[in-house]
Amino acid sequence: MALIIVKYGPNNPAERIKLESATENDDVILLQNGVYWILQNVKEHTKANVYALKDDFLARGYDESNSNVPLISYAQLIELIEKHPKSIG
Amino acid sequence: MKKLLFVAYQSPVGSIWVNEAFRTAFGMYGEDLEPAVLLLDEACVAVSKNTKPELLGLLPLSICHRYIKNYGTPVYVVKEDLEKFRVKEIDENFGANVVNKDQLSELLQQFDHVIFM
Amino acid sequence: MKITIQVMVPPYTYEDLDTALKIAEAAVEKGHEVNLFLFADSVLCINKNIKPLRIDRNIPNKIKEMISAGKIKVDICGICMDYRGITTDMIVDGAKPSGLPELAQLLATSDRFINLMA
Repeated sequence: MALIIVKYGPNNPAERIKLESATENDDVILLQNGVYWILQNVKEHTKANVYALKDDFLARGYDESNSNVPLISYAQLIELIEKHPKSIG
Repeated sequence: MKKLLFVAYQSPVGSIWVNEAFRTAFGMYGEDLEPAVLLLDEACVAVSKNTKPELLGLLPLSICHRYIKNYGTPVYVVKEDLEKFRVKEIDENFGANVVNKDQLSELLQQFDHVIFM
Repeated sequence: MKITIQVMVPPYTYEDLDTALKIAEAAVEKGHEVNLFLFADSVLCINKNIKPLRIDRNIPNKIKEMISAGKIKVDICGICMDYRGITTDMIVDGAKPSGLPELAQLLATSDRFINLMA
């Protein structure tokens, strides 16, 4: 059970490994260019629960209807950080 | 005792991250921490016997060998990556444990913090 | 809770310092203690001589304000500074040149560790 931080998009091999090796007990936060995973239906690449940082998604020209994962604020990200003593980043 | 896994995934020649993953891992021993190193994707080329960044005037990888041995730092490398990058002869000084890609999930989950570089 | 955030890539070229400072602000808002560890090229952000365009954000100033407001503590990898020609007289007031022993201590004592990879 860990918080997994994904900051690069689907072209990054390390991010792919993080997503593919995650379990259903893990939470993934997509931030920065990691939000581009949303466009590739990120849930097909991981068993984990996936969230994305709303500011990073909207700033790249998308709106909330373009996302099939919950878009969260920095305050909500802190809640995920509080939840997980373990991290993969 | 917290367990830490430092992961490099970029080439050991032309980028600093394999060296930095090892350097950082060795820097952890002063505290109650248990570091290990995983070389993913292009970084697996580091364990090839013939890889020599020093040919280009870059920092050699061999400076890690003594510390790996003295500290007993676990080093992991992925079988499928070794095949992909055609690493034929592994330098035994890394004491690398070869794991299969499908074992990575279990490996990553063993650590408190997995720190990609 | 004690939270440490590690950054590795250069400021302005990438968004990581911005991300780290926003996470720090939100964590402090919730009463957490935040440490920032600057590793590799991220140490460039601590240079107080940085002069961005006026319409752009001033990252070292922002860090300085957060340090002086007691919101964050900042440790800088000393060898990384040396490699990039950053000397102690160039760094933002309150930031501390340190090294891997300090990173190890932060990892050992922090309740949470957030790594923004290179």
